[in-house]
Amino acid sequence: MMDKPTWKSTLRAFLYLLPALLILIVFNIYPIIKSFLMSLYTDYDFYNDVVYEYGLSNFSDIFQDPNFIKAIVNTTVFVIGVVPVSIVLSLAIAIMLNSKIKALSFFRTIYFLPFVTSVVAVAIVWGWIFHSDYGLLNYFLGFFGIDPIEWLTDPTYSMPALIILSVWKGLGFNIIIFLAGLQNINKQYYLAAQVDGASAWHRFLSVTIPLLSPTMFFISIISIINAFKVFDEIFALFNGRPGPANSTLTVVYYVYQKFYEEWEFGLASAAAFVLFIIVFLFTLIQLSLGKKFVHYQ
Amino acid sequence: MSGPHEEALKGFIEQFNSEHENITVEPMNQGSYDDLEQKIMAAAKAKTLPTLAQAVTNVVPEYIGNDFIAPLNDFIEDPEIGLSEEELADYVDVFQQSSSWDGTFYSLPFSKSTRVLYYNSGILEEHNLEVPETWADIRNISETVTADGVVGMGFENSYESEFQAILKQLGGTYIDEASNEATFASQEGMEAMTMIKDMIDEGIARTAGEDDYMSNPFGIGDVAMYIGSSAGIPHVASAAEGNIEWSTTTFPTLDGEAATTFAGNDIVMFNQAEEAEQKAAWEFMKFLTSPEVTADWSMQSGYLPVRYSAQELPEYQSFVEENPAYAAGSQQFDAGFFIARVQGGDAVRNIILEEMELILLDEKSVEQGLTDAQERANEALQK
Repeated sequence: MMDKPTWKSTLRAFLYLLPALLILIVFNIYPIIKSFLMSLYTDYDFYNDVVYEYGLSNFSDIFQDPNFIKAIVNTTVFVIGVVPVSIVLSLAIAIMLNSKIKALSFFRTIYFLPFVTSVVAVAIVWGWIFHSDYGLLNYFLGFFGIDPIEWLTDPTYSMPALIILSVWKGLGFNIIIFLAGLQNINKQYYLAAQVDGASAWHRFLSVTIPLLSPTMFFISIISIINAFKVFDEIFALFNGRPGPANSTLTVVYYVYQKFYEEWEFGLASAAAFVLFIIVFLFTLIQLSLGKKFVHYQ
Repeated sequence: MSGPHEEALKGFIEQFNSEHENITVEPMNQGSYDDLEQKIMAAAKAKTLPTLAQAVTNVVPEYIGNDFIAPLNDFIEDPEIGLSEEELADYVDVFQQSSSWDGTFYSLPFSKSTRVLYYNSGILEEHNLEVPETWADIRNISETVTADGVVGMGFENSYESEFQAILKQLGGTYIDEASNEATFASQEGMEAMTMIKDMIDEGIARTAGEDDYMSNPFGIGDVAMYIGSSAGIPHVASAAEGNIEWSTTTFPTLDGEAATTFAGNDIVMFNQAEEAEQKAAWEFMKFLTSPEVTADWSMQSGYLPVRYSAQELPEYQSFVEENPAYAAGSQQFDAGFFIARVQGGDAVRNIILEEMELILLDEKSVEQGLTDAQERANEALQK
C-alpha cells in the first residue's frame, strides 16, 4: 500500500530519519568531506586551521611513494586471500549447523566466540600459535615433516599468517548471517526438489544457492569493505609494526603511520581518500553484478 | 601510566596537593605513551590541552614546531620561583641537554631510561667468563656460549639505538641536529651495521623478532646477554624469576670509546593554559623533578633518577645495593647522548627500521640499505 508522497508525509519520514541521519552526518559524511579537503592541503597549519595553499601534490606524492603502492598491493592480496575463503568456509559451517545435530547451540556459540573476542586478545593468542620455536601450528606441521615456519618474521609467511587469523576471526559473523538466510528458505522447495528426484548436491546448487543469494550478496559486500579496512589485526599481531619488511603494510596502516607517527596530515588524508574511492568503486561493481545474479524470493 | 606506576604518581600528587593549598593537580590516565601522543594531538586540535603532560623526547620538536608548548626559561630564571644555579646544575647533564634547544628549555626530564647490557650470570660462570665490557668481549662470549637452544647475544627489534651508539663510538653521526641532515650511511655507519649483522648471520646473536621484546627469551635462558632499555628491568625480573640468575652492566665500549643513548619521557607545559595555571604547573614540575621525588619515582618505576643528588640519598643507595641491576644505568651518565631531536624524527625511525630489516633479510646489502635509508630520511627531514 503506497500513498502518493505529500509534503506532510515527506516531513514525517524525515523526522523519523533524523536521529540516524544526524549521527551519520556528524561521524561519517562530515569527516569524509573534511578529509577530502585536507587531502588538498599542501601548505597548512593543521592546529590553527590555516591553509596557505591547496593543490594535488599530496596525491602525486603518495603515488610516487613505493610504500603506498606496496600498501595497495598488500591490501588487494589480503582481500583476495580472506574474502572467498571466509565465505566458502562459513557457508559450509552454516549448512552443517543448520542440520539436525546434537549440542547445536554449543557449536553455534563456539563459532561465534572469535567474533566477540577483542582483536588484541585474539592476536596475542595467535602470536603464540604462530611462534616459530614454541608455537602450536609448527608443532602440528612437524607431524607432517614440515620444518618450522617463521610465520611472523619471514616476509613470505607474514601475510598468510595474517589471512589465517582474519578468516578465523571473521567466521562467526558470516555464519550467523548465513544461518539466518538458510532458515528463511521455505522447506517446501526442498521437498518439491526431492519429489522430482534431485540429489543433495543438486538441491544445494538449484535451491539453496539461488535462494541464499541475497544473503551471499550482503556478506560479500560487507566482507570486502571490512577486508579493505584491515588495521587492528596487523597492529596487534606484529606489535605495532606493519610486519617484517612492510610485508603486511596495508592502506589503513599507511594512513595511521602518516597521520599519527609522521604528522603528515595531508598525505594521510589523501591516502584515506584513495582508499575510499577504491572501496566505493568495488561496491558499485558489486551492486551492478548483484542486479544480475541476486534473486529475491 | 597504569598499575604500580599510576599508584606511585597518585602518591606524589596527593603529597603535592596537601603541601600546596592553592594548587590542585588532577591526574588523568591516558593509557600508553602512544595513546598519550595521539590524545595530545587531538586535544591540541580541539584546543583542550591540559596544562601539563608527559611527552616522549622525540616528539617535543613536533610540539615546538606546531607551537603547543611553553618555553620554561622565564620560570627557571625567576629569582623567586625559579631554580638556583646549583639546582639547575644538579639535573643530570645529558638530560639538561635533551630538554633544551639552543639554550631554551622546553621540558624537564622525568621518566628517563638508557640502554644497558643484561647478562645471564649462570651461563657466564659455567664457562668461566668475566662480565663483558667491550664489543670484543661480547663477540668472544657469544661465540663460546652459543649452543643448541642458547644464543649468545640478543638485540631488541628497535636496535637502531645500538646502531646509533656503535656509530657514535666509531666517531660517526646519526643525524646532525644543526643541519637537520641524516649522515648515517657513512663508512662508520656501514661498519656499525656490519658488526651487528655479522653476529646475527653467524648465529651467535638474534633479534627479539616474534617475541616482541627480549625480556622473555632472556628470562627463560634462551639468550645469554642482550642490550635493552633500563626501564625493562622489572619485566626482565618477572620473566627471569625462578629461571635464571642475571644482572646488568654498562653498555659495551668499542676501542675504549663509551657511548650509549638515553631516551624516555619529559614533562612539558602547554601554552594554552592561563598564566596562573602555568605558574602552578611549574611548581608541580619542580616538585616532580626534586631529588626526593625523582629518587622515589626511580625506585618505584625503574626509570633513572634525573638529579645527581638523588643518587646520594641514603634510601636510594641502599635500594641500589639491594637491586644491583639498577646501578648500571646511572653509572653511564657521562657516556650518554640522545637521538637527534628533529621534526620528522619518527618518520626517519620508520625508514631506518624498515631498511635495517631488509638488510638483515639479505634483500639489500648493508651499503645499499643504509644509503637508501639516508636518502629517504633526508627527504623526510627536508619537508
